[in-house]
Amino acid sequence: MGRKTEITNLLAHLPRLGVGLAYRESFRDELLHHQSEVDFVEIIGDHYIDAPPERMDELALLSEHFTILPHFTNLSLGTAEGIDPVYLEKIANLIRRLNPPWWSEHIGFTRAGGIHLGQSAPLPFTQEAVEVMTKNIITARRAIATPLMLENVCSPLAWPGGEMDEPTFISEVLRSGGTGLLLDVSSLLNHAVNLGGTPATFLEKLPLDRVVQVHFSGGQDACGQLVESRAHPIPEALWQLLDDAVARAPVRCICLERDDVLPPLSEMLGEVERARAIGRQHQRWS
Amino acid sequence: MELALQQKLLAQLASDRAFRETFFADPARVAASEGLTGEALSQSHCEQLRQFARVLQHRRLAQVGELLPLTHKALGTRFADLFHNYAITPPSGTRPCEDALGFVRHLKQHAATEGLEPEWSLSLARYEAAQIEATWLDERLVFRCLPHAVRKLSALLAVGDVPAGSYRRLSLALWWRTSTRSRLKHWLR
Repeated sequence: MGRKTEITNLLAHLPRLGVGLAYRESFRDELLHHQSEVDFVEIIGDHYIDAPPERMDELALLSEHFTILPHFTNLSLGTAEGIDPVYLEKIANLIRRLNPPWWSEHIGFTRAGGIHLGQSAPLPFTQEAVEVMTKNIITARRAIATPLMLENVCSPLAWPGGEMDEPTFISEVLRSGGTGLLLDVSSLLNHAVNLGGTPATFLEKLPLDRVVQVHFSGGQDACGQLVESRAHPIPEALWQLLDDAVARAPVRCICLERDDVLPPLSEMLGEVERARAIGRQHQRWS
Repeated sequence: MELALQQKLLAQLASDRAFRETFFADPARVAASEGLTGEALSQSHCEQLRQFARVLQHRRLAQVGELLPLTHKALGTRFADLFHNYAITPPSGTRPCEDALGFVRHLKQHAATEGLEPEWSLSLARYEAAQIEATWLDERLVFRCLPHAVRKLSALLAVGDVPAGSYRRLSLALWWRTSTRSRLKHWLR
């Protein structure tokens, strides 16, 4: 069996989770009351590394009620300095504890020259960056057997000297690293507004058979630039793009992200339900 | 390796305002001084870099605001202004809790040199910083003696009231764990 077929088969056997929420502590109690309306919860895994017992109690409580998907930022898979083996081991321990169907990180870097950015920065679209990502992904996959999904990053910055376009770069990283794609459709829309192009063209060039999970969140217009603020309701253009992506890719789940200016949970649950209906319409789940 | 140098340059540009302005004055010279030889970031990326720096700063602000909710409520919109003055350099440490502690140190310096209104907001900041130390930094015992009525102020802010008055009254706050794995206990008077 070819490597591509092997990975596609692996991804095809992952569970269909439905639609969930990126967890924020402030709506914990309300979320537990509305458990039946949320199919899974995604946590920022980094927040549970070197965490106090109280934080781990919270995680245990969530695990009792939801499937948990851990999403990480600070492993910095794109860093040319190599990933931190101690941090990797801590992530591996957390994943062993949670036993999720998959875990996720970004196609970017958060650490360089002793500076921790706390948010993924983009990589130049070069062969050297593909090789660095591949090396680090292989190290991570050796330590963690659970399937890894990688997310496209949202950035207002485009490096000069690119040797390929972004979809080709993403495809190369996924192919050589043997991972699935966590597709952030909000980033596609933001890139189209900020850097030119259309999200549909971007989507067409991606290896859609690798898409396992989708992230979506509302953005904010700041001085003509669309910023992924995760602080606003989902605009109609994004609902259209989400529909398009779910129609074309074999997604196993969709996750709504909301960080700042959290609205009442009922408002977010309305968006969760609309996304669930999109998945149902395209027969991604029943 | 060229990529390592590029990443180091971007990390500095995104997180250090003074370095960013030096770079924009003469990108080619700064890139060369950092050892870069290939096609590098230049003047044409000025606005993209500023925007990226704003995104990073906004994320730091959101994380620190979540860790210092009382201080945030006490200072209102000035919380963000003061944070932006603090976050002109890279975060101290690797975790949001360390960034929050760095910001409280900045608030203390600001209060000492320029004052901070309302005066009790600094007591709330010190109280929340102590709580972060007890929760996240493996401190088994943390004690603070604060010059304002922290319990009363916290209760008012929690229900959305804007406390008026000086609220001068000594508060004693203690956090402790009997072991690193035991749950945190807290006493406030």
